[in-house]
Amino acid sequence: MKKSEREAYRRDYAAAKAQGKPFFPYAVYKDLIVASVAIGFVFVLAIWQPIGIGEPINPATTDFVPRPEWYFFFLFELLKIFKGDNALTPVIMATFIVPNILMVLLLVTPFIDRGRERRIWRRPIALTSGLLVIFGLAYLTQAGLEAPVGQAGAAGIELEGLDAQGEAGLEVYIANGCSSCHMIKDVGAPGPGPNLTDEGAKNRGIEWQIEHLKDPTSTSPGSSMPAFANLTDQQYDDLAVFLEGLGTEYR
Amino acid sequence: MTTRDVEPEAPPQGPNGPNGPAVGKPDIAPKNPAVAVGEQVVDYVDERTGVVAGTKWFMFRNVPAETSWFQTLGFAAFAIFSMQAITGIVLAMYYQPDPGTAFQSIEFITNDVTWGSLVRSMHRWGSSAMIVLVFLHMARVFFFGSYKYPRELTWVTGAVLLILTLFMGLTGYLLVWDQKAYWATVVATNITAAAPILGPFIADILRAGPEFGPNTLSRFYAIHMLIIPSGIVTFIGLHLFLIAKLGITEPPYAKRRFKAQREEDEARRRMRSPNTGRRAVPAAGDGSEGGS
Repeated sequence: MKKSEREAYRRDYAAAKAQGKPFFPYAVYKDLIVASVAIGFVFVLAIWQPIGIGEPINPATTDFVPRPEWYFFFLFELLKIFKGDNALTPVIMATFIVPNILMVLLLVTPFIDRGRERRIWRRPIALTSGLLVIFGLAYLTQAGLEAPVGQAGAAGIELEGLDAQGEAGLEVYIANGCSSCHMIKDVGAPGPGPNLTDEGAKNRGIEWQIEHLKDPTSTSPGSSMPAFANLTDQQYDDLAVFLEGLGTEYR
Repeated sequence: MTTRDVEPEAPPQGPNGPNGPAVGKPDIAPKNPAVAVGEQVVDYVDERTGVVAGTKWFMFRNVPAETSWFQTLGFAAFAIFSMQAITGIVLAMYYQPDPGTAFQSIEFITNDVTWGSLVRSMHRWGSSAMIVLVFLHMARVFFFGSYKYPRELTWVTGAVLLILTLFMGLTGYLLVWDQKAYWATVVATNITAAAPILGPFIADILRAGPEFGPNTLSRFYAIHMLIIPSGIVTFIGLHLFLIAKLGITEPPYAKRRFKAQREEDEARRRMRSPNTGRRAVPAAGDGSEGGS
């Protein structure tokens, strides 16, 4: 904005103020009405839908559903888009790059859009980008709301060719709630973890699998998978064999 | 002292303090001693702090005549924040940030404390309401173009408040200390640890160590109760100060704005027309319009 434009704005706003009304009570009464409605709304919701008590923590086993609050669904859904299946969609995009770009854009908006025009119907770029952000957030939040909540123990996984160790591995898989982030043959949540139906076909090896289970970031940098450090050696073995067999032996 | 302060202004409704209803009329009767003491107290404080002038500056400043209902969303978010502060203080009186007893204290609040369930539910729903209001407020500011000169820095303080509000939601989530809270936070701290360069350090600070352990809960408690709230209060102060200093924006669709804008556009077109060869605006019609 040029200096003359800034001065023109100041003059114009001074005129608006001179013809205006005092903040108290003319603006305050509106503020108080809307604030009372907002607080009343929360009050009614709190009575109508009281918050219950969840399950106590048990880090060892888990029937866990790592779903954040709804207002983080848009970030959570990003994890499903950037799954790390190929070089173009690394997980780091969803966990670091995209959120930080959004944050920086948010902070510097007024320094990008410095035009004097305030009427939105004359700001096509601002209008488009504003609507895109709104629809993007709404879409991702909606996708997060509709995403099936994976349930541990929802043992609908039917695999052919399971031997005894595969069977044991599947049990560990179910008991640890893996299906709340991963999918095998249409059973489980489609994310944030990758689909494991053909995990064995990637030929990563038993060692890799066990290491990954104990400390996911050591083998998959950027992974948001929690470490499963409390299984027994036998359980690690069974689970790793099971995972390595997926898509090859067990289908 | 009172007379010296009041006389030069003598505004029509001019009470110089909340305790001085008698000031409006000529002072002939002896004052009610309680009122007199009240005035003295107000004068004493005002002389040393300027609080009366400050309050007047804040409350009785003019705002454009046509403010919109959309411009109340920021205050509504502030009101919900205040509600969160109050319900949060009540919850803190019963909550125990200890891995062994946190869950039981939540149960105790929900089942045994009088109104405990209501306070906890209000706090939880309040977090959602606050996020919604903050986003709506931001959308209003964006579509009104209110972040433009001279209010760029007001927007920056608001953006910081939005980010702090999101972190408030994130850190409060763990305190419930149930399965869902625990695992969602494990994922969140893992995501933090995966960020390049600073990520592992920040994750260690959040978790109070390389692993998710017993101190993680009190760490999150301190962040949720002390660090972020003080940041939010500071930035609300800055935000409000800038709003009061720079004034509330006039909606771009205000009638007065349209009129001013039309005149401006006309003037610009007249300036441009000789060069661009556009139709010149008749000077006569323009003169009569611009007169008011």
